[in-house]
Amino acid sequence: MVPSVDWVIELRELTKRYGGRVAVDGLSVDVRPGVVTGFLGPNGSGKSTTMRMILGLDAPDRGQALIGGVPYADLRWPLKTVGALLDAGAVHPGRSARAHLAALAASNDIPRSRVEQVLRVVGLSEAANRRAGTYSLGMRQRLGVAVALLGDPGVLLLDEPVNGLDPEGIRWIRDLLRGLAAEGRTVFVSSHLIAEMALTAERLVVIGRGRLLAETTVDDLAAGADSLEDAFFRLTSQDTDYRGVGAS
Amino acid sequence: MNGYGFRHAARMERIKLGSVRSTWWLAIAAVVVMGAVGAGVGLGYRSHTPVATAAQILNNSLGGAIAAQLLLGALGVLVVTGEYGTGMIRSTFAAVPRRRVVLAAKVAVCGGAALTVGLVASFAGYLGGQLAIRGTAIPAASLGDPAILRPVLLTGVYLGATALIGVGVGTLLRHSGAAIGTLFGLMFVPMIVVGLFGESGIAVGRFVPLLMLLNSIAVTSPIPGLFAGWVSALLMCGYAALAILCGGVLLRYRDA
Repeated sequence: MVPSVDWVIELRELTKRYGGRVAVDGLSVDVRPGVVTGFLGPNGSGKSTTMRMILGLDAPDRGQALIGGVPYADLRWPLKTVGALLDAGAVHPGRSARAHLAALAASNDIPRSRVEQVLRVVGLSEAANRRAGTYSLGMRQRLGVAVALLGDPGVLLLDEPVNGLDPEGIRWIRDLLRGLAAEGRTVFVSSHLIAEMALTAERLVVIGRGRLLAETTVDDLAAGADSLEDAFFRLTSQDTDYRGVGAS
Repeated sequence: MNGYGFRHAARMERIKLGSVRSTWWLAIAAVVVMGAVGAGVGLGYRSHTPVATAAQILNNSLGGAIAAQLLLGALGVLVVTGEYGTGMIRSTFAAVPRRRVVLAAKVAVCGGAALTVGLVASFAGYLGGQLAIRGTAIPAASLGDPAILRPVLLTGVYLGATALIGVGVGTLLRHSGAAIGTLFGLMFVPMIVVGLFGESGIAVGRFVPLLMLLNSIAVTSPIPGLFAGWVSALLMCGYAALAILCGGVLLRYRDA
């Protein structure tokens, strides 16, 4: 696969308010193909809201999110262009993984054989006829990854993919994402786990309170600090909404 | 220009509808309850004096539609709210971002399924009643008689329309409990209110779903003051269209 400009994600002054609270505030970023781009920020910093706006699920109050220059709603075959892992709950618990994938495949004219293929890739072939409600969180994440891969898309958006995965699963998803990026795809992964991002991502987009704090590489962020974690805290210290104090 | 269209969304909805158990339970329950009520009515009239008429048996043996409308109405609601409650709606709208295409597909697939189940359930009510009066002096009702066939068919249509009202209310409210509660309220409360006005309530009562079912749609000849059966059935379809339209307008502007 050759990286294509059709796979660039462009955020232009993206802004979203919920009531009086600003969730995403004038966010402008380009996410390019060929590398894994980590999307970092503390809890409540606007990562999921940004992801939902890219997918056209939430409407921005201002600005726009484009994929290859067009809004998500105008994509010819959405699932063949963008694969998304939303929160692991985006599945009906009463439906089997196989039926869930078959339904989504039918909507974008994806051949039925592809369903079995992605089930094998994520290791759910044996459990595919079980109702998704009986799955562990890790298995639901794997189903979410299968949905993302279903249309063999050039752009992958993954919201907190390592949540609920065991160490083996975390390594698996890390290798998978790096492999997909190496094939020339755009891979945009949100996480609040800086250590995990350091191993998976090459580029980093860091936000806090919905604003862009840094657009950098893992190497540049780590330079000049004791650790990547320290560098992250220094960057986000003014923009963390929820913080506990030591128990006494 | 999008590559996908209504046809693709409808295939998705067909797979989704058939792959959750609640669909099958609600459909089976609707048929069984109507068959059972039909048989119960027939049995009750067996030794009744004076001998019941064919119309009496038919009118009463379709009475299970009161319960079946709630079951199929809930089916229509769940086709939409089941997705909001679980987050599935985000997977659906990510696959088909043109939301009205999704709604149209849900209406077609759920409406078609509910109409089919409604017709089967209605026939089960008719058949239950007829089987239970065999060997008595009560005259059998033949589906070859238009006055018998019409209420059986229109009751099926009424049940299909009720499911579509459920789809519309579900799209408007997005919450299973609230939408099912509202739907049941819409079915029963107007009838109670109209009842308070006695005889003069009929002018309004002929527009009320449950009264239309019991006195115009599921009967061999409507009671005076009510619309003809097919007019009442069309009115139900009109209510469904209105609910779906309102849902469709809000669907476009709300965040998923």
